[in-house]
Amino acid sequence: MAWLSRQFSTRVIVLIPIAIAINIVLGYTVQTILKLPIYLDSIGTILVGVLAGPIAGALTGILSNLIWQYAPGIGGGTIGPFAITAGVIGLLAGIWGQLAVYKSRPASGRQLILAAIAAAVIVIVVVIPIINNPAYTDPNNGYPSWVYTAAAVIAVVVAVVVVGFIYIRRDLAGLWVAVAGVVTGIIAAFVSAPISAIAFGGVTGGGTDLLVAALRQGGSDVLHASLGQGLFSDPIDKTITSFVVFMILSGLSGRLLARFPLGERLVRDRAA
Amino acid sequence: MSVATGTLRLSGATYRYAGARHDALTGVDLELAAGSVLGVVGPNEAGKSTLCLVAAGLAPVVVGGRLTGSVTIDGRETVGMRPHELAQRCGILFQDPQAQLSGTASTVFEELAFGPCNLGLPLGDVIDRVEASLATLGIAALADRDPARLSGGQAQLVALAAILALRPDFLVLDEPTSQLDPQGTRLVGEALRDLARESRTAILVVEHKTSLLDQLADRVVVIDHGRIVRAGPSAEVLGDPALVELGVEPPPRVRVRAALAGAGLRTPDEADQLLAEPAR
Amino acid sequence: MRPDPGPDTSVAIPEPGAAVLPAYVLRVPTGPYRALNPLTKFVIAIASAVVAFGVRGWTGPLSILVVTAAIALIAGVSRSLRRFVLATIPIVASILLVNAFLYPGATDVLFRVGPFAATGTGVTVALQAVLRVIAFALSVAVFSLTTATDDFLADLERRGTGRRLTFVIGSAIRTIPTMGSRAIEIVEAQRARGLDTEGSIRRRLRGIVPLAGPMVFGSLGEVEERTIALEARAFSAPVRRTAMRALPDSSTQRALRWVVGLGSLVLVAVSVAGRFPLP
Repeated sequence: MAWLSRQFSTRVIVLIPIAIAINIVLGYTVQTILKLPIYLDSIGTILVGVLAGPIAGALTGILSNLIWQYAPGIGGGTIGPFAITAGVIGLLAGIWGQLAVYKSRPASGRQLILAAIAAAVIVIVVVIPIINNPAYTDPNNGYPSWVYTAAAVIAVVVAVVVVGFIYIRRDLAGLWVAVAGVVTGIIAAFVSAPISAIAFGGVTGGGTDLLVAALRQGGSDVLHASLGQGLFSDPIDKTITSFVVFMILSGLSGRLLARFPLGERLVRDRAA
Repeated sequence: MSVATGTLRLSGATYRYAGARHDALTGVDLELAAGSVLGVVGPNEAGKSTLCLVAAGLAPVVVGGRLTGSVTIDGRETVGMRPHELAQRCGILFQDPQAQLSGTASTVFEELAFGPCNLGLPLGDVIDRVEASLATLGIAALADRDPARLSGGQAQLVALAAILALRPDFLVLDEPTSQLDPQGTRLVGEALRDLARESRTAILVVEHKTSLLDQLADRVVVIDHGRIVRAGPSAEVLGDPALVELGVEPPPRVRVRAALAGAGLRTPDEADQLLAEPAR
Repeated sequence: MRPDPGPDTSVAIPEPGAAVLPAYVLRVPTGPYRALNPLTKFVIAIASAVVAFGVRGWTGPLSILVVTAAIALIAGVSRSLRRFVLATIPIVASILLVNAFLYPGATDVLFRVGPFAATGTGVTVALQAVLRVIAFALSVAVFSLTTATDDFLADLERRGTGRRLTFVIGSAIRTIPTMGSRAIEIVEAQRARGLDTEGSIRRRLRGIVPLAGPMVFGSLGEVEERTIALEARAFSAPVRRTAMRALPDSSTQRALRWVVGLGSLVLVAVSVAGRFPLP
C-alpha cells in the first residue's frame, strides 16, 4: 500500500478529499433537492482524473462510493457495489487528461462550422450503432423498436447541444468534451449493468426503472434491460458532467492548474 | 561573507510567481535575528504575503516560481531544503484559522500532535511537545475540544500551537488577526506578546493593525510594490507621518498624539509623555 | 532511497513513568462487538456483502441476515437499524414489482393484476434479490454503527497504509458536512432569488450552475492554501509516521479475519461452480 501513497504529491492529496466531498454533496443535492433524473456524482472524480492522472482519478471514484456507503452519518443506500464503475470513470478521466481533452481550443469561421458538422455526425454515428449492438448481445434479444426511435431523438438533441456549444463559445473543445462524455457514459453503462443485474435484480430504485420495466416488457432479459437503461441515462449524465467539468476547468486560473501533474496540458496555449 | 547563526536572512531576494509577468518581490534585504520581533507593514498587494512565503522558504520550494538572491536560515539556503526540513526551522501562520488546521484531528491534542507525528518522533517526544505548546500559549483547557468547533481566536491559537510543536527557531505570521473579531484579536495579540517576551523564537509579523506591532515589534519595515522602502526601530517607523501616504494606518497613539498636538490641547511634549508608553 | 528508519519507535507502548496519552485521545472503544478491532469488523462487513451477493439462492442472504441481526443485537444497535432498512424501500419496491411481473422468459403464472402476470420464477428471484439487498444494508449498518472512522483509519495507518490514504479519507469525511451546509446555504439563497426547485426540467437544469459554481470554485480555491499548510506541518516527511492510537487486536481476531475472509470467498466459489449443497 505504501507505493500507492508515494505516487501522489501533497497537492493531489489535498485535492482528492475536496473532490470526494464535491461528488457526494452535489450528487446528493441534485438527486434529492433538485430532483433531476441525472446523478452528477462524478464531477470530482473526473476533475481529479484530468488533473492528476488515472490512478488518482480511479481512487477518487472508488473512495467516494465506499465513503458514501460505509461512513457513519453519511452512509447508507446501495451505491457501494458501483465503486467499480466509479473507478473506471476515474481511470478514463485520467486518459482524457493525458490527451488534454479539456483544453480550450479557440477557433473561428470555417473551422468552427466544419467542427460543428463533424461533432454532429460523430455523435449520431457513434450512438446509434452501439445501442443497436450491445457487446453482450444475443441476436435474439434485441430491443423493441421504440427504443431505437428514442435513441435517435436523444442523439439528435445531443448533437444540437454540442453544435450550439461549439458555435456559441467558439471553442473546438466542445467536440472532444462531448466525445469524452459519451464514451465514458457508454463504458460506465457496460460496467454497471452486470453489477446491477447480479446485486440488485437489474433495477436501480430510481425513476429509470420504468425504462427497465418497459424494456423487459418488450422482451429483453435482465442484463439487457439493465444495459438498456444504462445506455439511456449514463451517456447523458456523463456528457453533462463532462461539460460541467470543462466549465470548471476553464474557470480556474492557469497558475492553479499548472501546479497539477496533468494541469499544464490544459494551459499550454493560454495567455497567463 | 560572514555567516551568522540563529539568523534568517534575505539578501537581494527577488521572487516571481510561476507564470507571472512581474516580480512580486524585488531586491529585498532583511534580517531576523534570534529573539527579535520584526514587523512588516505596507499597502494591499504590496507583497507582504509573498514576503512571508519567501522568508519561510515555502516559495519557491512548495509554491513554485523563481527566486534570485538568497534566503538563508542559519547560513543554509532555503531553496535546497525539503518542505519538512523547512517546517522545523521556520513556522508560518496564515489569516484563515480553519484552512490551516489539518482537518483530520478530532481533538486539539491530536491537532497539535499532527506535525510531530509526521516527523516520526517517538511517542514520548510527541506528548512532551504537545503539552509544552499547550502550556506556552495557555490553551491546555482546549486540549480535548474539537478543532472545527472553536472560535476564530481559539482556532488561531491552536494553529499557532501546532506550529510551535515543531520547535522552529523562526516564526512568520501573515496577518494572524485579520479574520478575527476583536475578542479573538485580543486573545492572539496577548499570546504573541507573551511568546515574544518569553521565548527565543524570532518572529516576523505582517499586520495591518499597527497598534499590535507597536506593542510587539522591535523593528519595523515598510514594503511597497515588492520593495522595502523604510526600515528602522518600530517607534520611529510607526511614528512617521509619511506612513499614511502609503496606505498604512498608524497606531492609535500616533494618531491621537497628532490630533492632540494639532488641536493645540497639549504641548507635544506632554502628549508624548502621556502616550509614549503603549499600554502593555 | 528511503532512509533507514532505525528502531521502531513508533509503537505506542509507553515506558513506565513516561508521558501517557490522555483518555480522550486514546478513545478505546468498549462494549460487545464494538471493542473488536476495526479491521475485524470491516472484514466481517465485506465478507457479509460478498456472501450476500455471491452465494446464489436462499441460504446466502438468509444466513447473512441472521448473522448481522445477531451482531446488531449483541452490539446493542438494533434500534438504529431501522433507518438503514427504510432507505432500501425504493429499490426493494422496484425489485419486487419489476421482477415479479416482468421476469423474462418465465411462464409459471401465479396470479394476474390487470394486464400483468406475476410468475413464480419472477417472485422467487425478486424475493431473493430483496433479501440480498436487505442483508447487505444490514451489514453496512452494523459496521457504520459500531465503528468510528477515526478508529478504522488509525488502525489502518498502524498497519502501514501510509499517512496519505488516512488523510484523504479522514479529510473527506470531515469536509462533507461542511460543504453540505455550504450547499444548503447556497440553495436557500438561490431559492430566495427565484431558483426553481420544483418547476420544469430545463429550469432545474439551469439551477445546477448557480449551486455548483460557488461551492466548487470556493473549495478548489482552498487547495493551494491547504497544500502550503500541510507542508508547513512536515506532511511530506519521508519517515514512518508515529502512530498515537493503538486499537487492541489479538491473534484470535487475526485468525477470525482469515477464516471469515477466505471462507466467504470459498463459499462464493462453490456457489459459482454450482456445487453449493443448500437451496
